[in-house]
Amino acid sequence: MGRLFAVEIVYRGIFQKNLAKNISRGVVLAAHHGGKQGISFGRYGDSPERNGIPAKSFAVIGTDEETLQEGMAKYEPKEVDISIVVDDTLLKGVESWAWYGLQPINRLLRPGGTLIVTSMHGAGELIPMAHRKETPYQLAILKGTPSFSGLWVYKDDHTDVRVLGAIARVLPELFTIADVEKAILEEWSSPLKVTSARKAAERITTRVVSPGEGNPEKPFEFELPKWHEMREGIAIPSIARGAAMADPATQQTGGFRPARNPTFKKYTTRTMRPVVNFDTCVKCTLCWLQCPDSCFDVTPDALYDANMEACCGCGVCEAVCPVENCITMVNESAFADNASQWEAWKKDKPAYVAWLEEKIQHKPERSHGFRYRGQYEEQLPPMMEIAGGAGPEDESGKEG
Amino acid sequence: MADAIETTLPTQPLEAMKGVKKVPLEEFFTSGHRTCQGCESALVMKLMVKASGPRTIVLGSTGCMYVANTTYYSTSWVVPWMHTQLGSSGSAGMGTAAALKVLMRKGKMKEEPINVIAFCGDGGGADMGLSAISAALTHPQYNFLILLYDNESYANTDIQLSGSTPYGAHTTFSPPGKAKRIMHRRWKKNVAGMLAAGHPECRYVATVDASYAVEMMNRVRKALRIGGPTFLHSLDPCPKGWDYDPIMSHELGELAVETGVWPLYEVEDGLLKLYGRTKQIAEKRAKRKPVRDFLLKQGRFAHFTDDDIEYFQAKIDEMWTKWLIPGVIPFHTDLDRDQPPA
Amino acid sequence: MAKAVERVSTAPREHDALISGSEAIAVACKLADVDVITAYPIRPYDTVMQYVAKLVSNGELDCEYIVAESEHSQFEIVKHASAAGARVFCGSSGVGWMYAFEALTVTPALRIPMVAMVGNRALDDPGAFGVEHNDALAVRDLGWQLVWVDNAQEALDTALIAYRVAEDRRVFLPCAIACDGAFLTHSQAQVKIPPQEWVNRFLPAYNRGDLLLHPDNPITVAPQVNEDWLMEIRKHNDEAMKRSKTVIKEVYADFAKTFGRDYGNPFFEEYQTADADVVLVGMGTLSMPVKVAIRRMRAEGKKVGFVRIRWFRPFATEELAATLSRFKAVGIIDRDFSFGSPYTSGVLATEVRAALYPAAQRPPVLAFICGLGGREVTVPDVQRMSDMLFSAASGKTQPLTTWIGIRE
Repeated sequence: MGRLFAVEIVYRGIFQKNLAKNISRGVVLAAHHGGKQGISFGRYGDSPERNGIPAKSFAVIGTDEETLQEGMAKYEPKEVDISIVVDDTLLKGVESWAWYGLQPINRLLRPGGTLIVTSMHGAGELIPMAHRKETPYQLAILKGTPSFSGLWVYKDDHTDVRVLGAIARVLPELFTIADVEKAILEEWSSPLKVTSARKAAERITTRVVSPGEGNPEKPFEFELPKWHEMREGIAIPSIARGAAMADPATQQTGGFRPARNPTFKKYTTRTMRPVVNFDTCVKCTLCWLQCPDSCFDVTPDALYDANMEACCGCGVCEAVCPVENCITMVNESAFADNASQWEAWKKDKPAYVAWLEEKIQHKPERSHGFRYRGQYEEQLPPMMEIAGGAGPEDESGKEG
Repeated sequence: MADAIETTLPTQPLEAMKGVKKVPLEEFFTSGHRTCQGCESALVMKLMVKASGPRTIVLGSTGCMYVANTTYYSTSWVVPWMHTQLGSSGSAGMGTAAALKVLMRKGKMKEEPINVIAFCGDGGGADMGLSAISAALTHPQYNFLILLYDNESYANTDIQLSGSTPYGAHTTFSPPGKAKRIMHRRWKKNVAGMLAAGHPECRYVATVDASYAVEMMNRVRKALRIGGPTFLHSLDPCPKGWDYDPIMSHELGELAVETGVWPLYEVEDGLLKLYGRTKQIAEKRAKRKPVRDFLLKQGRFAHFTDDDIEYFQAKIDEMWTKWLIPGVIPFHTDLDRDQPPA
Repeated sequence: MAKAVERVSTAPREHDALISGSEAIAVACKLADVDVITAYPIRPYDTVMQYVAKLVSNGELDCEYIVAESEHSQFEIVKHASAAGARVFCGSSGVGWMYAFEALTVTPALRIPMVAMVGNRALDDPGAFGVEHNDALAVRDLGWQLVWVDNAQEALDTALIAYRVAEDRRVFLPCAIACDGAFLTHSQAQVKIPPQEWVNRFLPAYNRGDLLLHPDNPITVAPQVNEDWLMEIRKHNDEAMKRSKTVIKEVYADFAKTFGRDYGNPFFEEYQTADADVVLVGMGTLSMPVKVAIRRMRAEGKKVGFVRIRWFRPFATEELAATLSRFKAVGIIDRDFSFGSPYTSGVLATEVRAALYPAAQRPPVLAFICGLGGREVTVPDVQRMSDMLFSAASGKTQPLTTWIGIRE
């Protein structure tokens, strides 16, 4: 029996679908150059993917064909050597199409395995976002802005090959940087991408995460019922009707809070969240009315409080808000909980304003896909600069 | 029984909302569906049942609004909801309405007006289910609304082109390639116009756009209030299939109307009325924006050359200037040759 | 044939009518006070809908009678009407039934107790109107209850029984009544029509209970599932189909008490099997020439019997295996085909063989493909099949599958 390797790529549905596929294919191709056999597949239950909803791709590699069979005809490996996280907000855990409950980002990682994350943050900010794990694992940070594009137009910021370079560095038994080079030339015929992969392998930083580190919360779980516990006729109860809300300070009731799907919460889809300046809100209703996720609770004082268990961070509320800076989309990594902003504001308005001022410093690079033709071309040079990918100095080996 | 003219059950007195402040707070389609960030079709679902209220039954044919909203053991619906097959929205609406009617007539069910809404996507409405919808609209004795949410592709299955996909759009069945830049050379079906023209007993057909939420909800209410089978066609920007940043969903919904690509109109008892921004454009009170502003914000048209954009613009201009009823009925008095760029 | 037994009450009287099998089922719809019926034309089943139309236009049947634009819509409309609490009736034939196939697959999964009539017809191509059983058999794996009848009286009785069984909360599965095209659908015979009072006593109102789609019972029906759920959902249907066998027995017993006609074993009819050496097995109206041939052969001292299967789903596996293992040879007459199937025979032969496999006594089984496309099954055909069975019984090798009545 040879050795079976598994690499997991956790990504944002649609936004990073092509990226994940490139990485997963690249892993198999590089391993093949290293004399191994592999398969590349997306987690079937994540399909059809939706924008932002966490999804997974896998590369399973065997040192020989018989070993590889151990990893075939499965939806996902039980354990992986490497988890690749191409958007750092995924560290908070994933609730995907494929199962119920919140899965810690490091759940499949074998003891001593490596979590590779592309991020602009350091280990001190990233480690508390992930749930604690009973066994130590390695965190590898690949510096860079998370790469987001859409189905049809790919933003080729070299994240795909930079991840391959990082893998060669942290798990050379799987493949070497020389194998990666061959795979890149085979798949993309791009010497520039080879340079990016090499630089990534050199620049990646790693650090061991011990069992005591990370988010101590127990993620919410779901137990699958037995067949005779399920209602016949494929019927399930609808969601209950919502009710008026109560003001935590005055106990005054009013407004409306919808009852919500208790089984699927959707908040791990979020890469940014709206923060609301209740003092400047003109109660125009548009954020509430135009929210596709019915995430706003209508408060007794007729304000609109985005419920952070239901908000998936699309940003439409900010787009429709007629008041400047009343709703601001803020990077999800700036928050540690899903608490109500309105309740915080009601309890202590000056403290809330201070909190708000601090949070809106974390406005993310707003690039969740295609906005206009030519946009990616404009974004690439600064992204490559930050990431330390191939730059103008590498142009001599221009793509052929 | 044995009466010559069949009666319809009364409908609920769903009055038009006069402004956003009159919109009811209660939600009947709530959070926790698995649609994309910025999914305009999910918004359509929310507004549709917000308008119809609690005494409503919804039937949903296969598509995004089935698969994403209702994943077993999990639902986003407050009102009763049932799946129907891809081509069955017409049959589902009619079958449910017929059951309510006969059970109430025979005293087997408490008599009350219950709204029945069957929805379908463009695959289920413009393609597979068109024949069943057409048949359903010829039965004036039943009260139900069919709502087509049109995101212009089979977005649930991986973005394949449908009869409602616009000319030239990139889909997984029409990828621009080296030999063919434009794989999809068919022009989008004019479903609402076709159904309005072809079903004289259908009392209400309208096009809607959820970026204009109150106007959209009022049309849902009118369709349910007027009785008989009625039809709404909603154009829904789709961040996944159209390939754009979800934050732009609302803006693209507006642009579709402002560029004249999606005219807003209603046909009530045979009387055609343009409404909203479309009416302003038709009456020259607002300028029709160039389609370029709409197309180039979407990755599905990123491969378009200037010629392609001009061709698209010419087809929209033709719709506004040469159609017998602009934006609605595509008959010409003089037939011009249709010459797409090579 | 069913035996006459003494009825409990005789106050209201049944009356005779000369009607076809299709018309008998239409009469059953009237007696069952069906709420929603959908029609679409295809021969031969649509004779039932023509009669329903008359009943509706004459004011004898109060229902929503909808002429659909295709069989797919026809079955979808009643599926949804049933989900909203209506008793429904539908039907089709041949490729029409196949056009509705998607709707047919979802109906049992949704636990819709629809009753449908299949006027058995050969599948296209080429177009043919005659009887073959492949149309109805196509749904045999999906959770449809399938019952074959061989005369108009049985058609009427079985339709009433079908509603009672299908709508039993333990079952909630659709039921298709298969009637041979032409011989049942287009042939009128004397039928006893029971009075409404008897039917009312026998058939309670349809109560969809907690599966009713109504604002007072807000449920979400048939949300999409992944691999974590489907086995459990399929298990529900498996158990319902198993319970259907129990319910069928109860309902036939109650039918005999209420209507004075006792069908004995509901699942299959045995004809002159008590002392038979060999038996033929078949479904539908081929029972007529088979019975005639058996009487003639018995006059010559050949002890042939016949087993006519009524309920194909649920299949009376143990009962059938116990019965058939008593004989020296068994011949299965398939009015259908299953190309490339085991021993290239038909559906019925394959199923009966499978049922017999665990039996202690396994007689030789010969398969006969006969009467396809509505070709008549003749007395000489039956005699030939019987002779082959006697030969097999005596230990001589016989072909495992034989096409009977083909020009060769």
